[in-house]
Amino acid sequence: MAPAGTPPGWSVNPSSWRQRLPIVGLALAGTAIALYLALYQWGVLGWVWEPFFGDGSARILDSWVSKVLPIPDAALGAAGYLLDAATGAIGGHARWKTMPWVVILFGVAVGPLGAVSVLLVVLQPVLFEAWCTLCLASAVVSIAMIGPALDEVLASLQHLARVRRAGGDVWRAFWGRPARADRQPPVPGRVG
Amino acid sequence: MRLVSVAVGIWLMAAPAVLEYAGVARTVDRIAGPLAASAAIVAMSEVMRGLRWLESAVGALLVVAPWLLGYSLGPALNSLAAGGLLLVAGAVRGRVSQRFGGGWSALLRRSAARRDGPA
Repeated sequence: MAPAGTPPGWSVNPSSWRQRLPIVGLALAGTAIALYLALYQWGVLGWVWEPFFGDGSARILDSWVSKVLPIPDAALGAAGYLLDAATGAIGGHARWKTMPWVVILFGVAVGPLGAVSVLLVVLQPVLFEAWCTLCLASAVVSIAMIGPALDEVLASLQHLARVRRAGGDVWRAFWGRPARADRQPPVPGRVG
Repeated sequence: MRLVSVAVGIWLMAAPAVLEYAGVARTVDRIAGPLAASAAIVAMSEVMRGLRWLESAVGALLVVAPWLLGYSLGPALNSLAAGGLLLVAGAVRGRVSQRFGGGWSALLRRSAARRDGPA
């Protein structure tokens, strides 16, 4: 028998701390790496650690791509990782059901951050003929978070789909509020 | 099999420098490598295992690229080998031991009926 809080039809609870803490840990590691790179881009640090690719890190971090936005791209990355960590940590061990909005925000934060990371990994050699060790490390971190984070998103989406099929109020369920007493679902006994 | 794709992806990122080739083959490999490796890392999660087909898709592109884009012999052989490996690796499902309430396709079903009873 699966432990309490496990979604219907699941063999694991994707919202358990055992599942979530490693993701939060990865997100905090990503925050640290990105913050370090942002300090270089802001000019606070005069040099950046680069064990393998010579001046690769400097060329990448000083490239025009990193200055497309008003703030350095690593600072934006740090903010993204921090959002991942926060939305990964908020809520209890049944939050796929009690707080679908946080879980879905979590997925929206983790997914695109990972996609942008893949894009930046491609751009490094294709546009600039250079590699940046810590940028690659940060990309690996954000890609490694995607799979473990999305199982919880699936559990939340399945929960909302069940509410919809049972004729319930999906909007209320999204915010984790219980179904209204005066508006019972037309098909009783179907809500998981 | 996911580890095979990750290894092939990383090799594709390094290959232009190691085997010293340039031009369109280098650009293709530097795009295909990170894509294949990333897809494989995400597909390591059982719930995202379906993304393994992206490994195969990248592999198929690498197999046809030498003919379409006119590679020289070295990069062509490398592309064929890497593409073939990815094609096969992506087709292997690997071990899936968990149940996920019908997975992503459960979201598309209209009826309330669920096929998620005890396995």
